[in-house]
Amino acid sequence: MSRIRILGPTEQLQQVLRRVQDLGLVHLIETQETGSLKLLGLTPQQARHVRRVRKVAEDVYAAIALLGKEPHAGSTSNDLTLARAALIAGRSRRHLEALEARRHDLEEERALILKFKPFFTTFRKISESGLDLDGVRIFYLVLRDDGEQEMRRVRAALRETLGDGFELLSQSSESGEAAMILAVPKESGAKAELLLSEAGVQSLSLPDQFEGESVGTTVQRMQSRLTELPDDLANLEAERDRIARERGRDLVRIRAYVEDHLATVDAMAKAAVTPRAFVLEGWIPSAAQRDLQQCLDKTFGGVVEVETLSSEDWLGEPAPVVLKNPRLFRPFEAITTMMPLPKYGTVDPTPYVAVFFPMFFGVTLGDIGYGLILATLSLFLRFRSAPHTKLRSISEIGLACALFTIIFGFLYGELFGDLGHRIGLHPIIFNREEAFFPFLGLALALGVVHIVLGLFVGAVKMFRKDKRHALGRGMAGVMVVLIAFALMAAAGMLPDRFFTPLVITTLVALPILVVAEGVLAPVELVSTLGNVLSYARIMAVGTASVMMAVVANRMTNAFGGVVVGVICALLFHLVNFVLGVFSPTIHMLRLHYVEFFGKFFSPGGSQYQPFRHWSQRENAIEERSA
Amino acid sequence: MENYAVYLSAALSVAIPALATGWAQSRIGPAAAATLAEKPELSVTVVLLIAIPETVAILGFVVSVLILMQGGG
Repeated sequence: MSRIRILGPTEQLQQVLRRVQDLGLVHLIETQETGSLKLLGLTPQQARHVRRVRKVAEDVYAAIALLGKEPHAGSTSNDLTLARAALIAGRSRRHLEALEARRHDLEEERALILKFKPFFTTFRKISESGLDLDGVRIFYLVLRDDGEQEMRRVRAALRETLGDGFELLSQSSESGEAAMILAVPKESGAKAELLLSEAGVQSLSLPDQFEGESVGTTVQRMQSRLTELPDDLANLEAERDRIARERGRDLVRIRAYVEDHLATVDAMAKAAVTPRAFVLEGWIPSAAQRDLQQCLDKTFGGVVEVETLSSEDWLGEPAPVVLKNPRLFRPFEAITTMMPLPKYGTVDPTPYVAVFFPMFFGVTLGDIGYGLILATLSLFLRFRSAPHTKLRSISEIGLACALFTIIFGFLYGELFGDLGHRIGLHPIIFNREEAFFPFLGLALALGVVHIVLGLFVGAVKMFRKDKRHALGRGMAGVMVVLIAFALMAAAGMLPDRFFTPLVITTLVALPILVVAEGVLAPVELVSTLGNVLSYARIMAVGTASVMMAVVANRMTNAFGGVVVGVICALLFHLVNFVLGVFSPTIHMLRLHYVEFFGKFFSPGGSQYQPFRHWSQRENAIEERSA
Repeated sequence: MENYAVYLSAALSVAIPALATGWAQSRIGPAAAATLAEKPELSVTVVLLIAIPETVAILGFVVSVLILMQGGG
């Protein structure tokens, strides 16, 4: 990244910003005010204009959200004016909000009528009993439990309060519940309502349009509304689709238009001006700096200058960061970016993660069968996901993990646990069911390689800035290797004659480490050795996984019938597969974030966000996918 | 029968760290849930904090296996 300053005549600031936005390469930052150089504020007229743009943005986002799906992008021609954008966005929003309100009303009406549906027959029978409904208020009641006794209680309470001034008719519905109609004079309606609420009797409220109708007519109209409502809802849906077809492209264009406008306002707020000149400051990828100068020269004939600040001038300033990795490693950026971005100029751990994460996962799960299932699921997810989404990255990480799981499955001779051994697969390196020590040795060896690599990467990166600490870090890596070899010699895995020289070399290295890193260095070294021990989890989780698979296979003979046994075994394998994917993922993430990143990773970088057009942002994504 | 001490120590060496891990995670879990409610962006840190005490149980398991292997269990 290069830190640049763009200088030019004040009256050309807007045109310069437009060209910079067209190029889409400069990450603008707020210019420092000095002496006569003042930040450019907004005039009252500009502030009003910005408020209008924000209102249009609000309308267009609301309208697109109400469409329910992202409309297809149309052309990006510049014939749009703010007045026209405001008109289309406002009208679309109002139209869609009215449709949404209507849909909400219809859904509510349907829900209410559906509440009455189980009692249609009952209420119709009651209505045919000849009840006179003139000047009365009707309550539709439902008694769920012990209807007979409850009804007697309600009747007694009503008689006590209203005397003989009510009519209560009941009928058992097909579902066994009791449906009742209570008719009271309108003036006693409030008393009856209070009484019913105190008695805890559920009263169904009629939709507004049925109020005042006779019971028979109400039921009849409800039934006909139930048949009409799906059509009404479908019509609303069709209307929404029509708006999406006719105005969707316009809405997408308006969104890009207002976003570009707001980005320009934001960029202007970062510019500083004198009465004659403006200054813009920002960051640009070093390789693109010439393109910017050429573009500005071509457009403004040399009156706009791009100045590069020397690194001494911006030392300590947070330069924005963009992760750049080969296509094969790019999905693993999802794992790196789960942590804060690395500081500018420090190491991007993505390539290391891309190699070690799936490898460790494969060493842990190591089963051809589980690997094939994981590969199938990952492929399915890959085809179902859109490019450059988290889901796509996860599917590609899953594929890499599946590949290593299958490779290590071959090396262990495992296919759904010990089923592989039964059908003639033989372990090439060791049998995990029995070889605990070799597996533990492999896990710790991987730990040594990983941790030492982390220490060396940190040392190399630090070498320019701080040679002494870089030496200390490198020496720590060497000592971890020496101690590992010494332990191997002590355990008989290396010839005995190596033991003494290794111990002597370690003791010689120790003072160098203390001189380079300070008196706490030995404590740090012990902590690093503890980090290596943490890799024993690869063996622990892997052994648990293979043992569960073996248990699942033994279930086939454990339940008498073969069919029951096979079903139980399959279910147990399913559980083991889910655990076998979830558990190594969490543990491998931990090994990377805590043990490995801790040796060199410097978080705190800010994302590179160049000032560009909204449409360029989407195109950039498409380009990356190509 | 003569191997009962081996089995018992192997069991204890995995059981005690597992209980300790469970206790530690029971304290971290509610704090993690509260943290996530306020700052969902800390989910990775929270997962790591929950996973950290598991090292104790895993090392207990490794020691247990060593006891069984060395003790002839």
